[in-house]
Formats: sequence, structure tokens, C-alpha cells
Amino acid sequence: MKKAAAENMEAGTAIYRHREWRGFRDTAYDFGKWAQLWAILIRWALSHPVQNVRAVLRYRWMFSYLTVPSFFDRLCAGQRSAGLRAARCNLNHMAGSVTDTLTTIFSADLHLHPESRKAKEKNRKIICLDELVPTLVAKGFPDCEAVLLQMYPMFLPSLINQHSPVHYISQAELYGLPADVCPLPSFEAGLAIEDDYPKIGCCMITSNMPCDGSIMTSMIQDRRIGLPTRPLNVPLRWKREEVQDYAVAEILSAIEFMEERTGEKCDWDALKDACEIWNEQQLSKFEKWEMNRTAIPPHTGASVWLYRVFEHQVACGDRRTLENSRKVNAILRKQVAAGRCPKTIRHRAVIWSTPANNYANFNNWLLDCWGIESVCEMFDIHGTGLIDTSTRESMLYGIADMVETSTMRAHTKGGYEVMLFDLWEKVREYQADMIILYDQISCKGVGAISGLFEEGARWRGIPMCRVRQDLLDPTSISRRDMRNDVNIFMQTVMNETPVDPSLVDFDDDESW
Amino acid sequence: MKDLRHIRFYESLLEQANNELVQRAKSDGGVAVGYTCYYLPEVLLNCGRAFSVRLRAPNTGSLDISQYYMTSFICGYARALFERAFEGGFNFLDFYASSDTCQQMVRVVENIHELKLIDHPGFSYGIIDAPLKVSGHGKKLYAQQIQSRILEPLRDRYGVDISDESIRRAVQEHNELCAVFEEISRIRKAENPVITPREFHILCLVSYACPTALILPYLRETLEELRSREPDTVCPWRARVVVVGGELDDYAFSEILENCRCYVAADRYCFGSFPGRQQIPLREDFPALEQVCDWYLETNQCPRFMSQEKILQRRETVKNLVEEFHADGILYEQAKFCDFWGYERTLAVQIMREDYGIPTLGIDREYVVHGSGQLATRIQAFMESLEIKRIRRGGGVA
Repeated sequence: MKKAAAENMEAGTAIYRHREWRGFRDTAYDFGKWAQLWAILIRWALSHPVQNVRAVLRYRWMFSYLTVPSFFDRLCAGQRSAGLRAARCNLNHMAGSVTDTLTTIFSADLHLHPESRKAKEKNRKIICLDELVPTLVAKGFPDCEAVLLQMYPMFLPSLINQHSPVHYISQAELYGLPADVCPLPSFEAGLAIEDDYPKIGCCMITSNMPCDGSIMTSMIQDRRIGLPTRPLNVPLRWKREEVQDYAVAEILSAIEFMEERTGEKCDWDALKDACEIWNEQQLSKFEKWEMNRTAIPPHTGASVWLYRVFEHQVACGDRRTLENSRKVNAILRKQVAAGRCPKTIRHRAVIWSTPANNYANFNNWLLDCWGIESVCEMFDIHGTGLIDTSTRESMLYGIADMVETSTMRAHTKGGYEVMLFDLWEKVREYQADMIILYDQISCKGVGAISGLFEEGARWRGIPMCRVRQDLLDPTSISRRDMRNDVNIFMQTVMNETPVDPSLVDFDDDESW
Repeated sequence: MKDLRHIRFYESLLEQANNELVQRAKSDGGVAVGYTCYYLPEVLLNCGRAFSVRLRAPNTGSLDISQYYMTSFICGYARALFERAFEGGFNFLDFYASSDTCQQMVRVVENIHELKLIDHPGFSYGIIDAPLKVSGHGKKLYAQQIQSRILEPLRDRYGVDISDESIRRAVQEHNELCAVFEEISRIRKAENPVITPREFHILCLVSYACPTALILPYLRETLEELRSREPDTVCPWRARVVVVGGELDDYAFSEILENCRCYVAADRYCFGSFPGRQQIPLREDFPALEQVCDWYLETNQCPRFMSQEKILQRRETVKNLVEEFHADGILYEQAKFCDFWGYERTLAVQIMREDYGIPTLGIDREYVVHGSGQLATRIQAFMESLEIKRIRRGGGVA
């Protein structure tokens, strides 16, 4: 890592003046993968040029996707060796998957093709799911496409471009929504109010995940989108044995609904195959976690949790994703076996609570500026079970468990002990010496136990730095504010000097 | 109108959670069960020796301690309850029946547990997981959760009789209380009613915050008094509204409305009478527990219910109340930082206005509303708009 990384940034936007120099081999690799990303994007753009241009002009959020190469560069900032290779492989794999899905969406989108019979025909085989319902629940319908409706207009753009949520959140607030609600469901509500969801699908499975705000925003979406809807109620106290029958009944109810709406029968063998692939994906993930418990944690940085979300929600039961995961494991294994650590690690940190979408590459900054390595991140470690596919019944219980432990809610639901005690457990498992606790100001479920975190950390003698953020609203708390929370803590509490002083304070408010 | 005979006594009962009647029930060997939400069937918390107390934090002042433990972005009700528990105001509780239905409220009891805030050796708590839609398997889950997380601990820990017979007795007593409220509610339909919004709010609050058996005789006397009470010669009310919203246990809210000459014809909020003060029909040939749970799930008006039929039911219920109680408009109120009612208010205000054609105002408020001039200004403006609408319809000014 060059010790004055900020010198390579444009003032205000923090866009790199030139590509980061990482040594010859790593720079060449990085450049090759960057070129591969462009090839993926150009191939996608040229596959349906008119349709894609119309999509960019129709949807405000589509502009964010034009900045993906810059986004990936940010997520790989400071990465070297196996970490860089893993990040680039994962990101490019995601790019391929996302562009394929965008093609599926836009080909069927009645906003873009209002009178098209072909588009209407395609919609009969598209099942829309709430973004936190893993697509695994729809794998019994191999002739249909399951699309996480909010993932492409909301979740990904909010990561790629920090300014993308601002307009939609403003629209939701102009509509009357209180400004204190979590900006994620507020963004979703804004999209619905602006009619900026693609008009696709034959039905919609909504859910109560991850939180109260998400439950309620589905009401606004139902009204504006107008698809036949079935809510999937996932138990909140998901660790209890006695709620599992209900969870399974809900999964069956969703399957029955999809059968009704698509006219297809659930193919249980296809579902079983997908579950088995998912089990392999899980084993591959477990190995990554295991490697991060070593003295040389190879798989860290923001791309890690991002890929986990993608894998758990979008690409569960997908063979190509499994192959990518295995390829990445092979790369990481080599580094662990070689015993080389290509980065300056001063602290092994557990990063807890929800990361800020508007500052996805915060982990990279932590390492580059202060040498704080995120060896374990709450957003990365959800869903730890395997699905027993020996009988249909056991498989359904396994799927229910997988849904119950979806992104975020695996910790934010299930009782305070799930989130609180698991933190202390992870600190021990990963031999961490500090905690970075995101203080997501509008997350009421976590905010309401913030004192317990404080007291627990103090009692255990673990330094804990709270970082304020507002998930995906940079107008409440900026990236610079977030960095400042860490800077103050590291300077005044830990009495340390930065690894790279140029990164302590720089202006990136105008950055994507 | 002349003051109601017991009104000062009722006001004194609302000065603290551990009020005179709660203390009397405790000294008679009762088991005090605190709860906060309609998801916990009140009537089941009144089985055998148990008696329910819907928790409030009257005279709340500084919320500094709760701000440290829960941040300042949490609803005032949850923070006030935490603060009161921290101060020792809930030490009289034997059991806290809670539900994982609102993540802020459930965190209150979790904090109480983790920080050991209730200084009572026998204290315990239970949290139910409740469904967000009404279905066969949802009803089963709900009844099972009530049974295993609330009733069985009450039986095993405190010896509370939770038999079918005991539940039926509790329902009978509950129905007697509800019969009183049903009659008082009917009085509100009159053009110049003999009960004021503030008085009704107080009656409702004491019925939730005191042991049913002990408050019932007083309420019966109040009903008798109302039957013969003479209204004011000139009707003071400018307009009638249905108040809809979440937790509202500060009767100063109704006082503000009253001062603006706004009559609350029906109250569809937590701590209000719809739902909660309607008699529960019981059949002899089915277990009472299941029937009670089904009743509470089906009549529940919480915005957390996601299914279309429940969403529609909520709107239809409000519309029916407007018609039945001859209201001119609807007032949606929401405690600040309440996610559920924040969304419900936003959408319902638009829908009730546009789809149902009913004048509707949405407001947010603090937990303690006493002396809120801002609130009064908004209510006055709403009253004026309702009056103008009435004049345009040719109805004249009241």
C-alpha cells in the first residue's frame, strides 16, 4: 500500500487520478479484471441496445449502474494478492449475474414495452420476491425466473452511488412518511411512489424481513405496484423450536401461491438439487470463515459481505456461483498455506450491525488508514445451517431455517441475545482485539439495545468504536462523518497514529 | 355538565402504574401481570389470581437514562417505560407479558431482563411470537405461543389457574366490563352527548390500568350516573371525529381536542375502546383459549398485519366507525418514532381522503402531549376545515 493513497484522489469526488499501483503482478491482474468487467458491461449494453438506453432514460436509478467500474475499484482499494483476486473474481461474477437479470427484467418490463405481447408472455413466468426472500424458495419452478424486485432498483444502486437514494427518500417524505424511519424501506416506498419499479411479474411474495419498516413499506408497494401478493411471514423468535412448523407452513403457502399464479407445479426434485448446491455453497463459505480465523485472514474487505448478500439472496442454489466460490477458495487457500500476509494489520476487528450502503468500501478505508482488519462482519456471517435433503419434510425445515436467517435479520431478530451474545462469541472465535459497532441511527431494533453493547464491551475490556451512519442516506451522516468517528476514537482513545495519514481526512462528498 | 362522581378518583388512579387498586389486588394475593399490547389477550391475563395492568409511565419527565440505553430515536412510550422500570416504578410486577410485535417494545422487556431492573425475586417475563396475518396455521401458532410463553409460566411459577373453566370466568367478568363500555359508547352517538372525550378517555384508561374486578363496581356506578346526566343546554361541539392511531395513554390529548371543541365520537387507538371493549362471544363446545385467541387475532387492528384482507379490514373498520358514530372526520395520530403508525398514518390519510372521501388529518405527537400548543393549532385548523365543509353542504355551524 502506498502510504499517501489520498494523493491519487480528485478533491471532492475522491475519484482516482490513475489506477492504484499494487506492484507489477497485482496491478496487471487488477487491470485485467477491470478490462473483463468492461467486457461484461459492453456485452450487456450491446445485447439489447435500444432497450437498455430506454431503461437508462426511464429509470433514474439506472444511471448508478453506469458507475460500476468506479464502484468496483473502490471495493478493491488497497487489496493485494489473494484478497484482491478473490474480490475481483466475486465482483465480476456478480456483474455477470446482475446484467443477465437486468436483461430479464427489461425484456419483460411493461413500462418499456407497454403494448408488447412478448413482454406480457414473459411476465407470466416471472415471480417477484421481496429482496430478503432468498430465491431458493422459488427453485421448484425451474421454468420461471425469480427476481428480487427491490434488489436492482434499490439495494444495488444505493451501494454503487451514494446519491441514488436521496431523491427517492425525499419523495417518500414529501408523501408524508416520517423522516425518522429507516432509509431502506423509505427508499423502497419512494420508488413505489415514483412508479420507478419495473413493471414485471405475475405475482409478488412480500415478507416481514428484516424489520418493522420493511413490513410497512410493503403496504405502499402493494398499492402502487398492484401485483397479486402473498406475504411470507417468517417467525421473529426464529431460534425457538416451536415456531418452526409455522415457518414451514408459510413456505408451503408461498409455494402454493406461486403454483396458482404461474400455472406450474412445484418440481420438488429441482428444489432438492438447488438445496444441495446451496449446501455446497455453504461449505465453501464455512471454509472462508475458517481461514479468516487464522493469523493471516485472507478474505476481508467490503466485497466479502456484498458477495455474501448476493450469494444468500440472489444466487443461492446456483451452480455457476458455487464454481466461482470454489475458485476463490482455492486462491485463498494458497495464501494461507504460504503464510504470507500482504497487508499491514494492527487490529483484528469484528464489525457489528448493518454496514452503511452509502459507504460500502468503509472496511477498505479502515484497513488502509488505520490497519483495522475486518476479520468478521455481522453482515457476512448469517445463515450457518445446512439443509437436510433426505426427505421433503426435512428439506422444508432446512429451507425455513435458511429464510429465517436471511441477511441482517439473522441477528436483528430472534431476541436481543442473538445479536449481543453472538458478538462476544465472534470476538473470541476470531481473536479480535476491537469492535467497530455501526450505530445506524434509524435502526430502532438495534438502537434500543445500544446500552447493552456499551456495557458488555466495557465489562469485557474490549475497545469498541461506535460509527454513526444512516444506512443509505448520506445527507444525514456523510462518509467523512463516519471516518471522523473512527479517527477520533483511534487518536484519543487508542492513542495511535494512522498507517496512511493522507487518508485520515479527505473530501468525497461528491463521490458516487 | 356536572362532574362525574368518581372522576377525581379515576384521575388519581392514573397518577402511577402501581395505583391504589393495583396495591389492593396485590395485598389480596393477586399476581400482577404487566403488558402493553393488544396482541396479549387482556382477558387471559385475568385468569385465576392473576390480574392485568396495561403499563403506562404517567408523569414522565426526563428520559436521559433511556436515551443512553435505547438512543433518542426510539418511541417515547418505550423509552418512558424503560425509564420508569429503571427508576423502580414497576417493581410491583410479578410477570411481564410481552410480544415480539413491535421491535421497540420488545426491547424494553429485554433490557429489563438483561439489566435486572425489576427488583422482585419472583419476577419473570414471557415474549410471544405472533403472526402477521390470520391463517389456520397462524392461529395455531398464536394460541400455542400464548399457552406456552404466558399462561403456563403463570401457572407453573405463580399457581395461577389457567383451566378452561377459569378462562371462561375471566371472559365473563371481561364481558361485564365491556357491556358497561358498550353502553357508554352508545351514549357518544348522541348529537350532544353526556360524556366528554376526556372523561371517556379516563374511563378507558382506568379499565386497562386497574384490576378488572376492582374497577368494575366504580364503572357501573359511573354508567348509572351517565344514564341520568343532563347535557349542557348548548351543544359545545364544533365537529366530531374518530381518533385512530397507536399507543395513547395520556388523556391530555383528549383534553386538547375538547378545548378545541372537537368531540371524539369513537376511539380506535391502543388504550382506546375499539378494539378491546367489546364482549367476547364464547361457545361451549370449543376450548375457551382457542376462541379467545381467535377473537383477539381477528379483531386486532395493528398496522403490522400485512395481508390484504387485514389491511382492508383496518380501513373498513374506521369507515364504519365514522358512519356509526356520525363523525365528520378522522384524526390519525402517531407517536413519534413509531414505524408502524408512521407508515399507516401516511398511507391511510391519503386513502381515507381520496378513496373513502372522508376528511382526514394525520399528526405525530410526543408520548407526553400535555400543553402542546402546536397540536392544538393543528386541531383547530382541522375543526375549521370540517366546519367549512359542513357549511358548504348546507349544514350550518354547530
